Amino acid sequence: MSALGGAAAGGEGLNMTGTIVGIVIILVSLGATAVLGASLVVPLVGIIVGGALIGFGVHFVPVGGAPAAMGQAPGIATGVAMLAAGAGLAGLFGGAWAYEATGDFLISILGGAVGGGLMMAITCLMVNATYVFAMGIPAASGKVAKDPITGDSFPEYKSQGTEGHGLPFISFVGGVIGGTIAGLGGTLIYIELLAAYQTGLATMMQADAEAIAPLAISLAGIFAIGFFLVNAVLAAYNITGTIEGPHDPKFKRVPRAVIGCAVASAFCGLISLLLVMNIGM
Amino acid sequence: MTVKMEASAGKLSHNTLMTYGLVIAVVGTYLTYLNVITGMAVFSFFGGIAAVAALWWGSDTIKHLCSYGLGTGVPSAGMIAFGSGAIAMIVGTKFGMASPIVTLILAAILGAVIGYTANNIINMNIPVMVMSLMELAIVGAMTMLGFAAMCTGSFNFSDMIIGSMSLSIESAGAAAGGAQQFLVTAVPQYGNSLIGGSALAVIFFLGALALQHPFNACLGPNESQDRTLMLALSCGFLSMIAVAVMSLVFVGLLAGTVNIIISLIAWFYCYKSYIELSKRDAYAWLDSKPIIEVGGDQ
Repeated sequence: MSALGGAAAGGEGLNMTGTIVGIVIILVSLGATAVLGASLVVPLVGIIVGGALIGFGVHFVPVGGAPAAMGQAPGIATGVAMLAAGAGLAGLFGGAWAYEATGDFLISILGGAVGGGLMMAITCLMVNATYVFAMGIPAASGKVAKDPITGDSFPEYKSQGTEGHGLPFISFVGGVIGGTIAGLGGTLIYIELLAAYQTGLATMMQADAEAIAPLAISLAGIFAIGFFLVNAVLAAYNITGTIEGPHDPKFKRVPRAVIGCAVASAFCGLISLLLVMNIGM
Repeated sequence: MTVKMEASAGKLSHNTLMTYGLVIAVVGTYLTYLNVITGMAVFSFFGGIAAVAALWWGSDTIKHLCSYGLGTGVPSAGMIAFGSGAIAMIVGTKFGMASPIVTLILAAILGAVIGYTANNIINMNIPVMVMSLMELAIVGAMTMLGFAAMCTGSFNFSDMIIGSMSLSIESAGAAAGGAQQFLVTAVPQYGNSLIGGSALAVIFFLGALALQHPFNACLGPNESQDRTLMLALSCGFLSMIAVAVMSLVFVGLLAGTVNIIISLIAWFYCYKSYIELSKRDAYAWLDSKPIIEVGGDQ
Protein backbone atom coordinates (compact mmCIF):
# COMPACT_ATOMS: atom_id res chain seq x y z
CA MET A 1 0.00 0.00 0.00
CA SER A 2 2.65 2.47 1.03
CA ALA A 3 4.61 1.62 -2.06
CA LEU A 4 1.68 2.73 -4.16
CA GLY A 5 1.01 5.88 -2.18
CA GLY A 6 2.65 9.16 -2.97
CA ALA A 7 0.64 12.04 -4.33
CA ALA A 8 -1.62 13.78 -1.86
CA ALA A 9 -5.20 12.65 -2.15
CA GLY A 10 -6.80 16.07 -2.01
CA GLY A 11 -3.75 18.29 -2.39
CA GLU A 12 -2.41 20.65 0.24
CA GLY A 13 -4.34 23.27 2.15
CA LEU A 14 -7.55 23.34 4.10
CA ASN A 15 -11.00 22.53 2.83
CA MET A 16 -12.97 25.53 4.12
CA THR A 17 -16.47 23.97 4.03
CA GLY A 18 -15.24 20.86 5.80
CA THR A 19 -13.40 22.90 8.41
CA ILE A 20 -16.41 25.06 9.19
CA VAL A 21 -18.68 22.00 9.50
CA GLY A 22 -16.00 20.48 11.75
CA ILE A 23 -15.95 23.48 14.06
CA VAL A 24 -19.75 23.33 14.22
CA ILE A 25 -19.50 19.65 15.24
CA ILE A 26 -17.08 20.58 18.05
CA LEU A 27 -19.41 23.34 19.29
CA VAL A 28 -22.48 21.07 19.10
CA SER A 29 -20.64 18.36 21.07
CA LEU A 30 -19.64 20.89 23.72
CA GLY A 31 -23.18 22.27 23.83
CA ALA A 32 -24.77 18.84 24.13
CA THR A 33 -22.39 17.95 26.94
CA ALA A 34 -23.15 21.20 28.75
CA VAL A 35 -26.90 20.45 28.56
CA LEU A 36 -26.67 16.78 29.59
CA GLY A 37 -24.06 17.14 32.31
CA ALA A 38 -22.42 20.49 32.96
CA SER A 39 -19.55 19.05 35.00
CA LEU A 40 -18.40 17.03 31.99
CA VAL A 41 -17.50 20.02 29.82
CA VAL A 42 -14.00 20.28 31.28
CA PRO A 43 -13.16 16.60 30.62
CA LEU A 44 -14.49 16.99 27.06
CA VAL A 45 -12.22 20.00 26.48
CA GLY A 46 -9.31 17.91 27.79
CA ILE A 47 -10.24 15.11 25.38
CA ILE A 48 -10.39 17.53 22.42
CA VAL A 49 -6.98 19.00 23.31
CA GLY A 50 -5.55 15.51 23.80
CA GLY A 51 -6.87 14.36 20.42
CA ALA A 52 -5.44 17.41 18.66
CA LEU A 53 -2.07 16.78 20.36
CA ILE A 54 -2.06 13.18 19.12
CA GLY A 55 -2.84 14.32 15.57
CA PHE A 56 -0.08 16.93 15.80
CA GLY A 57 2.48 14.60 17.36
CA VAL A 58 2.03 11.79 14.85
CA HIS A 59 3.29 14.07 12.06
CA PHE A 60 6.73 14.32 13.72
CA VAL A 61 7.27 10.58 13.72
CA PRO A 62 9.44 9.39 10.80
CA VAL A 63 7.35 6.71 9.11
CA GLY A 64 8.91 4.78 6.28
CA GLY A 65 6.51 1.94 5.70
CA ALA A 66 7.38 -0.90 3.36
CA PRO A 67 9.85 1.14 1.23
CA ALA A 68 11.92 1.84 4.34
CA ALA A 69 12.15 -1.88 5.06
CA MET A 70 13.74 -2.28 1.64
CA GLY A 71 16.09 0.65 2.22
CA GLN A 72 14.38 2.84 -0.37
CA ALA A 73 12.91 5.54 1.85
CA PRO A 74 14.01 7.09 5.15
CA GLY A 75 12.15 6.41 8.34
CA ILE A 76 11.07 3.56 10.58
CA ALA A 77 9.93 0.57 8.58
CA THR A 78 6.29 0.29 9.62
CA GLY A 79 2.95 2.06 9.16
CA VAL A 80 1.84 5.29 10.82
CA ALA A 81 -1.00 3.70 12.74
CA MET A 82 1.19 0.98 14.27
CA LEU A 83 3.98 3.37 15.24
CA ALA A 84 1.63 5.95 16.68
CA ALA A 85 -0.27 3.30 18.60
CA GLY A 86 3.01 1.96 19.99
CA ALA A 87 4.28 5.35 21.13
CA GLY A 88 0.91 6.46 22.43
CA LEU A 89 0.17 3.30 24.37
CA ALA A 90 3.66 3.26 25.90
CA GLY A 91 3.01 6.83 27.01
CA LEU A 92 -0.44 5.96 28.25
CA PHE A 93 0.86 3.13 30.41
CA GLY A 94 3.58 5.40 31.81
CA GLY A 95 1.08 8.12 32.57
CA ALA A 96 -1.46 5.73 34.07
CA TRP A 97 1.18 4.31 36.35
CA ALA A 98 2.32 7.77 37.39
CA TYR A 99 -1.29 8.73 38.14
CA GLU A 100 -1.72 5.60 40.24
CA ALA A 101 1.47 6.33 42.18
CA THR A 102 1.18 10.07 42.68
CA GLY A 103 -2.35 11.17 41.78
CA ASP A 104 -0.84 14.41 40.52
CA PHE A 105 -2.18 15.69 37.20
CA LEU A 106 0.98 17.43 35.98
CA ILE A 107 3.36 14.61 36.93
CA SER A 108 1.07 12.10 35.25
CA ILE A 109 0.83 13.82 31.89
CA LEU A 110 4.57 14.52 31.94
CA GLY A 111 5.12 10.86 32.81
CA GLY A 112 3.04 9.94 29.80
CA ALA A 113 5.04 12.32 27.61
CA VAL A 114 8.34 10.85 28.83
CA GLY A 115 7.02 7.31 28.29
CA GLY A 116 6.04 8.03 24.68
CA GLY A 117 9.27 9.90 23.95
CA LEU A 118 11.39 7.15 25.51
CA MET A 119 9.66 4.48 23.46
CA MET A 120 10.31 6.41 20.25
CA ALA A 121 13.93 7.13 21.23
CA ILE A 122 14.60 3.42 21.79
CA THR A 123 12.82 2.51 18.55
CA CYS A 124 14.77 5.13 16.53
CA LEU A 125 18.08 4.02 18.06
CA MET A 126 17.54 0.35 17.36
CA VAL A 127 16.18 1.07 13.88
CA ASN A 128 19.33 3.03 13.07
CA ALA A 129 21.53 0.29 14.51
CA THR A 130 19.73 -2.20 12.25
CA TYR A 131 20.03 0.07 9.21
CA VAL A 132 23.70 0.85 9.69
CA PHE A 133 25.13 -2.39 11.04
CA ALA A 134 22.76 -5.01 9.60
CA MET A 135 21.60 -3.55 6.29
CA GLY A 136 24.75 -1.52 5.68
CA ILE A 137 23.05 1.68 4.57
CA PRO A 138 23.98 5.21 5.67
CA ALA A 139 21.35 7.69 6.84
CA ALA A 140 20.39 10.12 4.09
CA SER A 141 17.24 12.17 3.60
CA GLY A 142 15.81 12.61 0.14
CA LYS A 143 13.69 15.65 0.91
CA VAL A 144 16.35 18.12 2.09
CA ALA A 145 20.02 18.61 1.07
CA LYS A 146 21.30 19.35 4.57
CA ASP A 147 20.26 18.22 8.01
CA PRO A 148 18.62 21.30 9.60
CA ILE A 149 20.21 20.52 13.01
CA THR A 150 23.66 19.04 12.40
CA GLY A 151 24.27 20.51 8.95
CA ASP A 152 25.40 17.15 7.53
CA SER A 153 24.94 16.93 3.78
CA PHE A 154 22.89 14.11 2.29
CA PRO A 155 23.14 13.93 -1.54
CA GLU A 156 26.58 12.23 -1.54
CA TYR A 157 25.23 9.36 0.55
CA LYS A 158 21.89 8.94 -1.15
CA SER A 159 21.67 5.91 -3.46
CA GLN A 160 20.33 6.41 -6.95
CA GLY A 161 16.68 5.59 -7.46
CA THR A 162 15.77 5.89 -3.80
CA GLU A 163 14.11 8.65 -1.81
CA GLY A 164 16.89 8.40 0.75
CA HIS A 165 17.37 5.76 3.42
CA GLY A 166 18.22 5.21 7.04
CA LEU A 167 17.19 7.53 9.83
CA PRO A 168 18.91 10.95 9.75
CA PHE A 169 19.39 12.93 12.98
CA ILE A 170 16.51 15.30 12.26
CA SER A 171 14.16 12.32 11.86
CA PHE A 172 15.42 10.88 15.15
CA VAL A 173 14.70 14.18 16.91
CA GLY A 174 11.32 14.35 15.19
CA GLY A 175 10.49 10.86 16.39
CA VAL A 176 11.27 11.70 20.00
CA ILE A 177 9.27 14.96 19.84
CA GLY A 178 6.38 13.13 18.18
CA GLY A 179 6.36 10.36 20.78
CA THR A 180 6.46 12.95 23.57
CA ILE A 181 3.54 14.98 22.22
CA ALA A 182 1.45 11.93 21.32
CA GLY A 183 2.10 10.31 24.71
CA LEU A 184 1.10 13.55 26.41
CA GLY A 185 -2.14 13.69 24.42
CA GLY A 186 -3.00 10.06 25.12
CA THR A 187 -2.41 10.44 28.84
CA LEU A 188 -4.44 13.63 28.95
CA ILE A 189 -7.43 11.79 27.43
CA TYR A 190 -7.00 8.89 29.87
CA ILE A 191 -6.84 11.09 32.96
CA GLU A 192 -9.81 13.23 31.93
CA LEU A 193 -11.91 10.13 31.28
CA LEU A 194 -10.77 8.51 34.51
CA ALA A 195 -11.77 11.54 36.57
CA ALA A 196 -15.16 11.72 34.85
CA TYR A 197 -15.88 8.01 35.34
CA GLN A 198 -14.65 7.80 38.91
CA THR A 199 -17.12 10.39 40.09
CA GLY A 200 -19.82 9.65 37.51
CA LEU A 201 -20.00 5.87 37.95
CA ALA A 202 -19.86 6.14 41.72
CA THR A 203 -22.97 8.33 41.72
CA MET A 204 -24.70 6.28 39.04
CA MET A 205 -24.31 2.95 40.83
CA GLN A 206 -24.41 4.20 44.39
CA ALA A 207 -21.06 2.63 45.14
CA ASP A 208 -18.06 4.20 46.82
CA ALA A 209 -15.22 5.44 44.65
CA GLU A 210 -12.82 2.79 45.91
CA ALA A 211 -15.01 -0.16 44.84
CA ILE A 212 -15.61 1.40 41.45
CA ALA A 213 -11.92 2.13 40.78
CA PRO A 214 -11.06 -1.03 38.75
CA LEU A 215 -14.10 -0.43 36.56
CA ALA A 216 -13.29 3.26 36.01
CA ILE A 217 -9.65 2.48 35.22
CA SER A 218 -10.57 -0.27 32.73
CA LEU A 219 -13.21 1.83 31.02
CA ALA A 220 -10.94 4.87 30.77
CA GLY A 221 -8.13 2.67 29.46
CA ILE A 222 -10.23 0.99 26.76
CA PHE A 223 -11.76 4.30 25.70
CA ALA A 224 -8.33 5.95 25.63
CA ILE A 225 -7.02 3.17 23.34
CA GLY A 226 -10.08 3.67 21.12
CA PHE A 227 -9.53 7.44 20.95
CA PHE A 228 -5.86 6.96 20.29
CA LEU A 229 -6.41 4.60 17.39
CA VAL A 230 -9.06 6.84 15.81
CA ASN A 231 -6.80 9.89 16.03
CA ALA A 232 -3.68 8.04 14.91
CA VAL A 233 -5.42 6.60 11.85
CA LEU A 234 -6.88 9.99 10.93
CA ALA A 235 -3.38 11.47 11.15
CA ALA A 236 -2.11 8.54 9.07
CA TYR A 237 -4.73 9.27 6.41
CA ASN A 238 -3.50 12.86 6.36
CA ILE A 239 0.10 11.73 5.88
CA THR A 240 -0.83 9.15 3.19
CA GLY A 241 2.04 6.75 3.51
CA THR A 242 5.45 8.00 4.47
CA ILE A 243 6.82 11.11 6.18
CA GLU A 244 10.41 11.85 7.17
CA GLY A 245 9.80 14.11 10.12
CA PRO A 246 9.35 17.84 10.73
CA HIS A 247 11.49 18.81 7.69
CA ASP A 248 9.29 16.89 5.25
CA PRO A 249 7.10 19.05 2.94
CA LYS A 250 4.13 16.89 3.97
CA PHE A 251 4.47 18.39 7.46
CA LYS A 252 2.69 21.48 6.09
CA ARG A 253 -0.54 19.47 6.08
CA VAL A 254 -0.55 19.35 9.88
CA PRO A 255 -3.36 21.93 10.45
CA ARG A 256 -5.80 19.62 8.66
CA ALA A 257 -4.97 16.75 10.97
CA VAL A 258 -5.17 18.91 14.10
CA ILE A 259 -8.64 20.14 13.16
CA GLY A 260 -9.75 16.69 12.00
CA CYS A 261 -8.56 14.98 15.18
CA ALA A 262 -10.16 17.68 17.35
CA VAL A 263 -13.50 17.15 15.58
CA ALA A 264 -13.34 13.36 15.80
CA SER A 265 -12.26 13.53 19.46
CA ALA A 266 -15.04 15.97 20.32
CA PHE A 267 -17.70 13.68 18.92
CA CYS A 268 -16.15 10.46 20.26
CA GLY A 269 -15.78 12.25 23.61
CA LEU A 270 -19.46 13.18 23.65
CA ILE A 271 -20.44 9.56 22.97
CA SER A 272 -18.05 8.15 25.57
CA LEU A 273 -19.27 10.62 28.21
CA LEU A 274 -22.88 9.55 27.52
CA LEU A 275 -21.98 6.60 29.71
CA VAL A 276 -22.08 8.71 32.85
CA MET A 277 -24.87 11.04 31.72
CA ASN A 278 -28.43 10.60 32.86
CA ILE A 279 -29.78 8.64 29.92
CA GLY A 280 -30.62 5.01 29.30
CA MET A 281 -30.44 2.26 31.90
CA MET B 1 -5.44 8.63 -5.27
CA THR B 2 -4.78 7.56 -8.82
CA VAL B 3 -3.47 4.07 -8.16
CA LYS B 4 -6.35 1.67 -7.84
CA MET B 5 -5.63 -1.77 -6.47
CA GLU B 6 -7.11 -4.87 -7.94
CA ALA B 7 -10.26 -6.01 -6.19
CA SER B 8 -12.37 -8.76 -7.63
CA ALA B 9 -16.01 -7.98 -8.39
CA GLY B 10 -17.18 -11.17 -6.74
CA LYS B 11 -20.36 -13.14 -6.97
CA LEU B 12 -22.09 -11.56 -4.00
CA SER B 13 -22.74 -7.84 -4.32
CA HIS B 14 -21.58 -5.70 -1.43
CA ASN B 15 -25.15 -4.72 -0.52
CA THR B 16 -26.23 -8.36 -0.27
CA LEU B 17 -23.25 -9.07 1.96
CA MET B 18 -24.02 -6.06 4.11
CA THR B 19 -27.66 -7.10 4.53
CA TYR B 20 -26.74 -10.65 5.55
CA GLY B 21 -23.97 -9.48 7.87
CA LEU B 22 -26.09 -6.86 9.56
CA VAL B 23 -29.16 -9.06 10.02
CA ILE B 24 -27.19 -12.05 11.34
CA ALA B 25 -25.21 -9.79 13.68
CA VAL B 26 -28.29 -8.18 15.21
CA VAL B 27 -30.39 -11.36 15.35
CA GLY B 28 -27.48 -13.41 16.71
CA THR B 29 -26.86 -10.90 19.49
CA TYR B 30 -30.56 -10.96 20.38
CA LEU B 31 -30.58 -14.78 20.41
CA THR B 32 -28.25 -14.70 23.42
CA TYR B 33 -31.32 -13.41 25.25
CA LEU B 34 -32.49 -17.04 25.20
CA ASN B 35 -30.10 -17.40 28.14
CA VAL B 36 -32.35 -15.15 30.21
CA ILE B 37 -35.56 -16.82 29.02
CA THR B 38 -34.39 -20.39 29.62
CA GLY B 39 -32.20 -19.64 32.62
CA MET B 40 -29.24 -21.43 31.07
CA ALA B 41 -26.09 -19.99 29.56
CA VAL B 42 -25.64 -22.45 26.67
CA PHE B 43 -27.02 -20.04 24.07
CA SER B 44 -24.04 -17.71 24.48
CA PHE B 45 -22.42 -19.01 21.30
CA PHE B 46 -24.98 -17.06 19.21
CA GLY B 47 -23.02 -13.94 20.19
CA GLY B 48 -19.91 -15.39 18.59
CA ILE B 49 -21.86 -16.24 15.42
CA ALA B 50 -23.10 -12.64 15.32
CA ALA B 51 -19.54 -11.33 15.69
CA VAL B 52 -18.22 -13.59 12.93
CA ALA B 53 -21.03 -12.46 10.60
CA ALA B 54 -20.08 -8.84 11.24
CA LEU B 55 -16.40 -9.61 10.58
CA TRP B 56 -17.35 -11.40 7.35
CA TRP B 57 -19.21 -8.33 6.13
CA GLY B 58 -16.48 -6.00 7.40
CA SER B 59 -13.68 -7.67 5.47
CA ASP B 60 -15.61 -6.99 2.25
CA THR B 61 -16.05 -3.35 3.29
CA ILE B 62 -12.30 -3.10 3.93
CA LYS B 63 -11.77 -4.48 0.44
CA HIS B 64 -13.88 -1.70 -1.06
CA LEU B 65 -12.25 1.03 1.00
CA CYS B 66 -8.66 -0.12 0.61
CA SER B 67 -8.97 -0.69 -3.13
CA TYR B 68 -8.67 3.10 -3.36
CA GLY B 69 -5.12 3.04 -2.02
CA LEU B 70 -5.18 4.89 1.29
CA GLY B 71 -1.38 4.85 1.47
CA THR B 72 -1.46 3.71 5.09
CA GLY B 73 -1.88 -0.03 4.81
CA VAL B 74 -4.95 -2.17 5.25
CA PRO B 75 -4.56 -2.72 9.04
CA SER B 76 -5.22 0.95 9.80
CA ALA B 77 -8.81 0.46 8.61
CA GLY B 78 -9.26 -2.36 11.13
CA MET B 79 -7.81 -0.17 13.88
CA ILE B 80 -10.14 2.79 13.22
CA ALA B 81 -13.10 0.40 12.97
CA PHE B 82 -12.50 -1.01 16.43
CA GLY B 83 -11.39 2.31 17.93
CA SER B 84 -14.73 3.88 17.06
CA GLY B 85 -16.66 0.63 17.52
CA ALA B 86 -15.43 0.18 21.09
CA ILE B 87 -16.70 3.60 22.09
CA ALA B 88 -20.13 3.00 20.55
CA MET B 89 -20.42 -0.51 21.95
CA ILE B 90 -19.64 0.27 25.59
CA VAL B 91 -22.08 3.18 25.64
CA GLY B 92 -24.68 1.19 23.66
CA THR B 93 -24.84 -1.59 26.25
CA LYS B 94 -26.33 0.90 28.71
CA PHE B 95 -29.72 0.67 27.04
CA GLY B 96 -30.96 -2.72 28.28
CA MET B 97 -33.04 -4.67 25.76
CA ALA B 98 -32.47 -2.06 23.05
CA SER B 99 -28.67 -2.38 23.39
CA PRO B 100 -27.87 -4.03 20.02
CA ILE B 101 -30.03 -1.53 18.12
CA VAL B 102 -28.69 1.49 20.03
CA THR B 103 -25.12 0.23 19.56
CA LEU B 104 -25.76 -0.01 15.83
CA ILE B 105 -27.21 3.50 15.61
CA LEU B 106 -24.49 5.08 17.79
CA ALA B 107 -21.77 3.36 15.74
CA ALA B 108 -23.34 4.51 12.49
CA ILE B 109 -23.44 8.15 13.65
CA LEU B 110 -19.89 7.96 15.02
CA GLY B 111 -18.61 6.36 11.83
CA ALA B 112 -20.35 8.96 9.69
CA VAL B 113 -18.74 11.83 11.62
CA ILE B 114 -15.28 10.22 11.43
CA GLY B 115 -15.83 9.48 7.75
CA TYR B 116 -16.82 13.08 7.10
CA THR B 117 -13.74 14.24 9.00
CA ALA B 118 -11.45 11.98 6.97
CA ASN B 119 -13.06 12.84 3.66
CA ASN B 120 -13.73 16.56 3.92
CA ILE B 121 -11.47 17.97 6.62
CA ILE B 122 -8.44 15.79 5.96
CA ASN B 123 -9.31 15.95 2.23
CA MET B 124 -9.10 12.27 1.34
CA ASN B 125 -11.81 12.75 -1.33
CA ILE B 126 -12.59 9.05 -1.61
CA PRO B 127 -16.18 8.46 -2.77
CA VAL B 128 -16.85 5.46 -0.52
CA MET B 129 -15.08 6.93 2.55
CA VAL B 130 -18.09 8.05 4.63
CA MET B 131 -20.12 4.94 3.88
CA SER B 132 -17.15 2.62 4.48
CA LEU B 133 -16.12 4.14 7.82
CA MET B 134 -19.76 4.06 8.88
CA GLU B 135 -19.97 0.37 8.03
CA LEU B 136 -16.63 -0.34 9.69
CA ALA B 137 -17.68 1.40 12.91
CA ILE B 138 -20.84 -0.75 12.96
CA VAL B 139 -18.75 -3.86 12.26
CA GLY B 140 -16.37 -3.00 15.10
CA ALA B 141 -19.19 -2.30 17.53
CA MET B 142 -21.28 -5.36 16.61
CA THR B 143 -18.23 -7.65 16.72
CA MET B 144 -17.31 -6.45 20.19
CA LEU B 145 -20.91 -6.66 21.37
CA GLY B 146 -21.26 -10.17 19.94
CA PHE B 147 -18.05 -11.43 21.52
CA ALA B 148 -18.86 -9.70 24.81
CA ALA B 149 -22.32 -11.30 24.78
CA MET B 150 -20.72 -14.67 24.10
CA CYS B 151 -18.26 -14.14 26.94
CA THR B 152 -20.75 -13.06 29.59
CA GLY B 153 -23.97 -14.55 28.18
CA SER B 154 -25.67 -11.15 28.14
CA PHE B 155 -25.51 -7.83 26.34
CA ASN B 156 -26.37 -5.74 29.36
CA PHE B 157 -23.95 -3.21 30.83
CA SER B 158 -24.61 -4.36 34.37
CA ASP B 159 -23.75 -7.98 33.51
CA MET B 160 -20.49 -6.88 31.92
CA ILE B 161 -19.31 -4.80 34.87
CA ILE B 162 -20.40 -6.90 37.85
CA GLY B 163 -18.29 -10.03 38.27
CA SER B 164 -19.81 -11.46 41.41
CA MET B 165 -21.60 -10.42 44.55
CA SER B 166 -19.93 -10.63 47.92
CA LEU B 167 -21.68 -10.37 51.24
CA SER B 168 -20.63 -7.67 53.61
CA ILE B 169 -21.47 -8.27 57.25
CA GLU B 170 -21.44 -5.43 59.69
CA SER B 171 -22.34 -5.43 63.29
CA ALA B 172 -25.49 -3.39 63.85
CA GLY B 173 -25.06 -3.31 67.56
CA ALA B 174 -26.70 -5.36 70.24
CA ALA B 175 -30.47 -5.53 70.17
CA ALA B 176 -32.67 -5.63 73.19
CA GLY B 177 -32.12 -8.82 75.10
CA GLY B 178 -28.41 -8.98 74.34
CA ALA B 179 -28.61 -10.75 70.98
CA GLN B 180 -26.03 -9.52 68.50
CA GLN B 181 -27.51 -8.15 65.29
CA PHE B 182 -25.77 -8.05 61.92
CA LEU B 183 -26.49 -6.03 58.83
CA VAL B 184 -25.89 -8.17 55.73
CA THR B 185 -25.65 -6.44 52.38
CA ALA B 186 -24.69 -7.78 48.94
CA VAL B 187 -21.82 -5.78 47.48
CA PRO B 188 -21.10 -6.10 43.75
CA GLN B 189 -17.49 -6.88 42.83
CA TYR B 190 -16.34 -5.01 39.73
CA GLY B 191 -12.72 -6.16 39.46
CA ASN B 192 -13.48 -9.68 38.18
CA SER B 193 -15.95 -8.73 35.45
CA LEU B 194 -15.53 -8.50 31.67
CA ILE B 195 -14.98 -4.75 31.62
CA GLY B 196 -13.61 -4.32 35.14
CA GLY B 197 -10.99 -6.98 34.49
CA SER B 198 -10.19 -5.40 31.11
CA ALA B 199 -10.97 -8.66 29.29
CA LEU B 200 -12.78 -6.39 26.84
CA ALA B 201 -9.40 -5.09 25.68
CA VAL B 202 -8.50 -8.63 24.61
CA ILE B 203 -11.77 -8.88 22.67
CA PHE B 204 -10.94 -5.51 21.10
CA PHE B 205 -7.68 -6.77 19.60
CA LEU B 206 -8.96 -10.27 18.79
CA GLY B 207 -11.65 -8.62 16.69
CA ALA B 208 -9.31 -6.07 15.13
CA LEU B 209 -6.85 -8.78 14.07
CA ALA B 210 -9.63 -10.87 12.53
CA LEU B 211 -10.98 -7.83 10.66
CA GLN B 212 -7.75 -6.49 9.24
CA HIS B 213 -6.08 -9.74 8.26
CA PRO B 214 -8.23 -11.31 5.48
CA PHE B 215 -7.94 -8.65 2.78
CA ASN B 216 -4.37 -7.85 3.81
CA ALA B 217 -3.43 -11.48 3.24
CA CYS B 218 -5.42 -12.05 0.05
CA LEU B 219 -4.98 -8.75 -1.83
CA GLY B 220 -3.28 -8.81 -5.17
CA PRO B 221 -4.08 -9.45 -8.80
CA ASN B 222 -5.42 -12.92 -8.08
CA GLU B 223 -7.75 -11.90 -5.25
CA SER B 224 -11.10 -13.67 -5.35
CA GLN B 225 -14.09 -12.82 -3.19
CA ASP B 226 -14.98 -16.27 -1.93
CA ARG B 227 -11.42 -16.97 -0.79
CA THR B 228 -11.11 -13.63 1.06
CA LEU B 229 -14.47 -14.15 2.72
CA MET B 230 -13.61 -17.71 3.69
CA LEU B 231 -10.42 -16.44 5.30
CA ALA B 232 -12.52 -13.83 7.11
CA LEU B 233 -14.75 -16.58 8.50
CA SER B 234 -11.71 -18.63 9.44
CA CYS B 235 -10.09 -15.67 11.27
CA GLY B 236 -13.39 -14.85 12.94
CA PHE B 237 -13.81 -18.36 14.30
CA LEU B 238 -10.16 -18.40 15.38
CA SER B 239 -10.83 -15.32 17.49
CA MET B 240 -14.04 -16.96 18.67
CA ILE B 241 -12.01 -19.89 20.06
CA ALA B 242 -10.01 -17.47 22.20
CA VAL B 243 -13.21 -15.74 23.35
CA ALA B 244 -14.74 -19.16 24.11
CA VAL B 245 -11.81 -19.96 26.39
CA MET B 246 -12.30 -16.62 28.15
CA SER B 247 -16.02 -17.35 28.49
CA LEU B 248 -15.28 -20.38 30.70
CA VAL B 249 -14.67 -17.92 33.53
CA PHE B 250 -17.90 -15.99 33.07
CA VAL B 251 -20.59 -18.43 31.87
CA GLY B 252 -19.46 -21.62 33.54
CA LEU B 253 -18.10 -24.98 32.42
CA LEU B 254 -21.05 -26.30 30.37
CA ALA B 255 -21.74 -23.20 28.30
CA GLY B 256 -18.01 -22.51 27.95
CA THR B 257 -17.42 -26.02 26.60
CA VAL B 258 -20.30 -25.63 24.15
CA ASN B 259 -18.72 -22.36 22.98
CA ILE B 260 -15.31 -23.99 22.53
CA ILE B 261 -16.66 -27.03 20.63
CA ILE B 262 -18.80 -24.95 18.26
CA SER B 263 -16.00 -22.50 17.49
CA LEU B 264 -13.43 -25.29 17.02
CA ILE B 265 -15.65 -27.20 14.57
CA ALA B 266 -16.54 -24.02 12.65
CA TRP B 267 -12.91 -22.89 12.51
CA PHE B 268 -11.71 -26.27 11.33
CA TYR B 269 -14.33 -26.39 8.55
CA CYS B 270 -13.57 -22.82 7.38
CA TYR B 271 -9.83 -23.27 7.50
CA LYS B 272 -10.07 -26.49 5.49
CA SER B 273 -12.29 -24.77 2.92
CA TYR B 274 -9.87 -21.85 2.76
CA ILE B 275 -6.93 -24.15 2.03
CA GLU B 276 -8.98 -25.81 -0.72
CA LEU B 277 -9.87 -22.44 -2.24
CA SER B 278 -6.20 -21.42 -2.07
CA LYS B 279 -5.26 -24.59 -3.92
CA ARG B 280 -7.95 -23.83 -6.50
CA ASP B 281 -6.61 -20.30 -7.10
CA ALA B 282 -2.93 -21.20 -7.03
CA TYR B 283 -1.05 -21.76 -10.26
CA ALA B 284 0.54 -24.88 -8.84
CA TRP B 285 0.59 -26.51 -5.46
CA LEU B 286 3.44 -28.52 -4.06
CA ASP B 287 2.79 -30.32 -0.82
CA SER B 288 5.97 -30.22 1.19
CA LYS B 289 7.72 -33.54 1.59
CA PRO B 290 10.80 -34.62 3.51
CA ILE B 291 14.00 -33.96 1.60
CA ILE B 292 14.76 -37.04 -0.44
CA GLU B 293 18.13 -38.53 0.37
CA VAL B 294 20.05 -39.07 -2.82
CA GLY B 295 22.25 -42.11 -2.71
CA GLY B 296 25.55 -42.74 -4.48
CA ASP B 297 28.16 -40.09 -5.19
CA GLN B 298 25.73 -37.23 -5.18
